[in-house]
Amino acid sequence: MNKVFLGIDVGSVSINVVVIDDEYKVISKQYIRSNGQPLESTKQAIRNLRKEIDAKYNVYGVGTTGSGRQLIGMMIGADVIKNEITAHATATIHYVPEARTIFEIGGQDSKMIFLKDGLITDFAMNTVCAAGTGSFLDHQAERLGIPIQEFGAFAKRANKKVRIAGRCTVFAESDMISKQQFGFSKEDIIKGLCEALVRNYLNNLGRGKKIHAPYVFQGGVAANDGIRVAFEKELGQKVIVPEHFDVMGALGVAVLAKEYIEFTKEITKFRGYEAADVDFTPTSFECSGCSNLCEVIKIEINGEVIAMWGDKCGKWTNSVKAI
Amino acid sequence: MKITFPYMGTPLVYKKLVEMLGHEPITPNKPTQRIIEQGVKNSPEFACFPMKVIMGSYIDALERGAEVILSSGGNGPCRAGFYGQMHEKILNSLGYNPKFIILDSIHRDFKGFIKNFKMITQNVSLCQLYSIFKFLHKMSSDLDQLEMQLQTKRAYEINRVECNKVWEKIQSIFDKTYIKKDLIKAKEKCQILIDDINIRKIPENEKIRIGIVGEIYAVMESSINMKMEELLGSFGCEVRRAHYLSHWIEDNVVPKIFSKSKDGEICKKGQKYIEVAIGGHAQQTIGHIVDYKEQGFDGIVHLMPFACLPELVSQSIIPKMSNEIGIPVLTIALDEQMGVANNTTRIEAFIDIIRNSKEKKYRAS
Repeated sequence: MNKVFLGIDVGSVSINVVVIDDEYKVISKQYIRSNGQPLESTKQAIRNLRKEIDAKYNVYGVGTTGSGRQLIGMMIGADVIKNEITAHATATIHYVPEARTIFEIGGQDSKMIFLKDGLITDFAMNTVCAAGTGSFLDHQAERLGIPIQEFGAFAKRANKKVRIAGRCTVFAESDMISKQQFGFSKEDIIKGLCEALVRNYLNNLGRGKKIHAPYVFQGGVAANDGIRVAFEKELGQKVIVPEHFDVMGALGVAVLAKEYIEFTKEITKFRGYEAADVDFTPTSFECSGCSNLCEVIKIEINGEVIAMWGDKCGKWTNSVKAI
Repeated sequence: MKITFPYMGTPLVYKKLVEMLGHEPITPNKPTQRIIEQGVKNSPEFACFPMKVIMGSYIDALERGAEVILSSGGNGPCRAGFYGQMHEKILNSLGYNPKFIILDSIHRDFKGFIKNFKMITQNVSLCQLYSIFKFLHKMSSDLDQLEMQLQTKRAYEINRVECNKVWEKIQSIFDKTYIKKDLIKAKEKCQILIDDINIRKIPENEKIRIGIVGEIYAVMESSINMKMEELLGSFGCEVRRAHYLSHWIEDNVVPKIFSKSKDGEICKKGQKYIEVAIGGHAQQTIGHIVDYKEQGFDGIVHLMPFACLPELVSQSIIPKMSNEIGIPVLTIALDEQMGVANNTTRIEAFIDIIRNSKEKKYRAS
């Protein structure tokens, strides 16, 4: 049976699962919209995986990343739990080694990562506004009554130039409404929106920093060709969209898991595909120990408490023995 | 008089000052969710976060019977200079009528400082005042010295949160001292506590040292900066802050001829990038980054309250200077948000960058 490594990216909008083999080749990938149910979606992804690869491959290592990395990592027994910036960059360094700047636009945040000689040198992350992220596009697609998948095609059909303010979602939205009332077509407005998003992204994240080509564009929003075209127009350079652009985080953490296992020669902590069937119950309660009234999250597997967090003082966090 | 004051780092020294001057201290509570909510509710929306938190602390202390509020003034042309007056106006409109005593730097307004200070020092003679001051000055520098040792050891502690527990103990030991002799004993006792903390041995080339710079309240008060020192410690980083209470005393209270203040020196280092004092601690922030670089630190975490004007200026200069002098800087804007996931990601990635580039340099040499 062949060795494989698993990478899981638990993001705000989607759960991505990638399986790579010993030669870093992608054997299987899944991109599942989590619809606010990251736990259930992950279980579903693991069940899918069992059907797909269990008979042929042995899992030697598992990594998790994304905002839900701790919880899911604990649930399935991850060897590596890494932040998504390092994970994304690792994948790009591996699969597009010449890259110098990564544009990553996801559901609730966007990042710009700077690379040099195969190392991250710097990064920027959106801070306060959702204007440069996928959820904003989602919202606008819904408002215009267009499936988000067709956004790119619409933008490409535009023939007029429409300028939409990109600084803030409120400004952008009021601009869009007034432009609609002037009689611009949906196509033109979507193109204007893509350009506004790119402008906002570059201004906000690139602030005061030098960006170098080659550029790589990844994350769920890279599926939208309109944005890629807007990037190329703004930068006057080609922008590479890698083959597995939508699962780069998961891919990166799979690579990290592989490297970790090979370096330490450890045996994986993976709980097996049965992890999808265990009774994994997160609950929460309000601690009344002081006026902070922290919301403490408690995780139980088959009735045994395996983790607690959310308390400011560490009273509950430290009450659980590390496993 | 029942006197209260803002909560910024350990309140021990302020509490002692009030107590030794013959007043009753109403020690503020460490800012909790409730205090912050109260403060946000009763402050102008666009005010800086520290002002809102302090607002909440005052309301909390007034509810517990405080009559007088003692605070420091701002530094240069920055909104913090209006805090006192703003707080007073808002508190009055809420129906509280505390007496406000605001101490500006002694070097800027000597007469005003003395006039304000006299209001709380009626009960003691000049001679007593001198010895109280000397005692507290010693106490604050002792405390800072001990805290710095913990900031180093926390990176390598074997039992999680042991350093925090020792720090709590140190504060309660110092709380019981009133004369110089006790202070010396207390310090010895605390030193033993610190020496007893078990730590991992880490090779010198793998150690990471981070300096925290920025606006003073955001840097010093852990309840609003997502416990930055502890977070960095848990990632195995030694930490130093740009602001310590004993340094503030040296800068603002001790007469210049006796002062060991490094403030002038730090500002000079920042002058290349910010020529004049623009208020708050912007020049110091930049100066400290240069200073930490010279001391061989590996990285800087820059904390600013969201929309803090002086720190916005330093934030804009940082990318350029960070390139020029060659030290990575991570800027984090703080506000009401309590979710830590986003910032943990930033810090983790930031430390990854530092660790990897350090490893690479080491391997190359």
